[in-house]
Amino acid sequence: MSADVRVRHLVKHYEVADREGGLRASLRSVVRRRHRSVRAVDDITFDVEPGEIVGFLGPNGAGKTTALKLLSGLLHPTAGEATVLDFTPWERRREFLSQITLIMGQRQQLYWDLPALDTFLVNKAVFGLEDAAYREAVDLLVGLLELEEILTKPVRQLSLGERMKAELAAGLLHRPRVLFLDEPTIGLDVTMQQRIRDFVTRYNATTGATILLTSHYMADVKALAERVIVIDHGKLLYDGPLTGLIDRYAPHKTITLHLERPVDRADVAAYGEVVSADDVQVSVRTDKAQAASVTARMLAELPVADLSVEDPPLEYVIDQVFHRRAS
Amino acid sequence: MRSRTLAGFASLLRAELADLFQYRIEMFLYGLWQVVNPIIYLVIWSTVVGSGDIAGYDRDDFVLYYLVFMAVSHLTLAIEVYTMAPSIQTGRLSPHMLRPLHPFWRAGALNIAYKAVNLMFLVPIWIGLALILRPAFDPDWLGIALFLPSMVMAASISFLIGSCFAMFAFWTTRSMSFWDIWMSLTLLLGGQVAPVAVLPGVLQQAAVILPMRYTVGFPIEVALGRVQGAELAAGLAIQAGWTVAAMAAFVVLWRAGVKRYGAVGA
Repeated sequence: MSADVRVRHLVKHYEVADREGGLRASLRSVVRRRHRSVRAVDDITFDVEPGEIVGFLGPNGAGKTTALKLLSGLLHPTAGEATVLDFTPWERRREFLSQITLIMGQRQQLYWDLPALDTFLVNKAVFGLEDAAYREAVDLLVGLLELEEILTKPVRQLSLGERMKAELAAGLLHRPRVLFLDEPTIGLDVTMQQRIRDFVTRYNATTGATILLTSHYMADVKALAERVIVIDHGKLLYDGPLTGLIDRYAPHKTITLHLERPVDRADVAAYGEVVSADDVQVSVRTDKAQAASVTARMLAELPVADLSVEDPPLEYVIDQVFHRRAS
Repeated sequence: MRSRTLAGFASLLRAELADLFQYRIEMFLYGLWQVVNPIIYLVIWSTVVGSGDIAGYDRDDFVLYYLVFMAVSHLTLAIEVYTMAPSIQTGRLSPHMLRPLHPFWRAGALNIAYKAVNLMFLVPIWIGLALILRPAFDPDWLGIALFLPSMVMAASISFLIGSCFAMFAFWTTRSMSFWDIWMSLTLLLGGQVAPVAVLPGVLQQAAVILPMRYTVGFPIEVALGRVQGAELAAGLAIQAGWTVAAMAAFVVLWRAGVKRYGAVGA
């Protein structure tokens, strides 16, 4: 089976105006404008197989959104190739646009003053959906996203979370085979984030759609994507399973002990790097390979009431990735 | 044209109409503003002409001209620099680009919806003014029959040229400034500040060739029977030529511009 998304040496540079602050610089820029080139996406290559969910990770300005915009045909690349469902995205063929969606947490397609249903009807006509297919899609999405109450209210009167759900539904009415989700949970409360995550998982399971998503919330990535692609300054730093990312950039475990009585910090430091310590709770970071033997020794040698062994938080792992690159 | 395109366009038109009905007061005020300028021109020319005539226009002719002008200038209004250009700059064009229907159709739907909603307020004003001013009118039936095609071409040229200026937003954040220059030229050469026949020789010759007259003044002249015979045929041919040229310019600018989308802040 061929990849749904195929990216080869994709490059996107932007020309941006560049000038210092102040009146003098302002006057100088009237005569001569200075521009500099920003490498938003810098030679990235990867494939995404049908039905896969891939998390795109990177700090602000890493090039994640630009990559998604290229793959959905909004932007033309500076160089390189890409195909999505065997179409070149930026040719923006009707057959291509009918099979993909790009949902951006910070951009909206819904008519602000009208109920979301009005936008749905526009999409029904524009995507050429038959009545039966439209009704089926609306029923599925209303069920998955609990939309009954929302669809007939003007969009401006919806909460941020309700609006995001309606946006998702509007973007999925045509049952796209490939979904690009850019920060789908941004600004939402924890409960709503969880709902959107559950929805994406169920949508993927129900329809077999291929999903590429970016998020600032590590919980999104952890819950949704087994595979992650990490980019920074437009360059691809890592592409593989989430567990592999942890192994490569943070190959250690955190052992947290609840002690029956306080012990000397120096006694605990003998087992590894002490991350935190108070009276009876201590966290120690130790090499992953030695985690089992260190745990056994601690149980034997310290007055342990309870113990847990965890992978480092994903936020820490990502921080390690970018920290290492920067240094 | 594929039926899906037409169905998509019709549904966009319905949604844009519904959306604009939410802004009734704003629309009414815009509508009122559009009536003010022609009334000023009408008053000035009626005063200047007195009981004589200028280039074949007496007082009644000027009144008639500006009454028809009110309708034509509204129906040929281009709003794309205020709608499409900002959406290119801010990235709000993206959702429309992701649909399998060219954003051109959405711009067209918005243009038509805007005019249709405003008509609710303008038609009673136009009728009221016509009843108050009661100009003598000797109808030219051929002109009246040809007014509709000429109006449709005028509205198309205006929409397409407006869209071309909006496309400048792919390159610059100041597309509005270029549009202002164009509007100033239309004011003079389009038959706004005065009917083209009243303009001095050189300007009149320029107006016959350039597109501005064909977006406003020409359909008024056609409706009032001011152009006849070969001049009428040539005018309609030039108007058709500008419609095709404006469409071609739009296609070229869109194709070049869309490659730069995202470059100016989107």
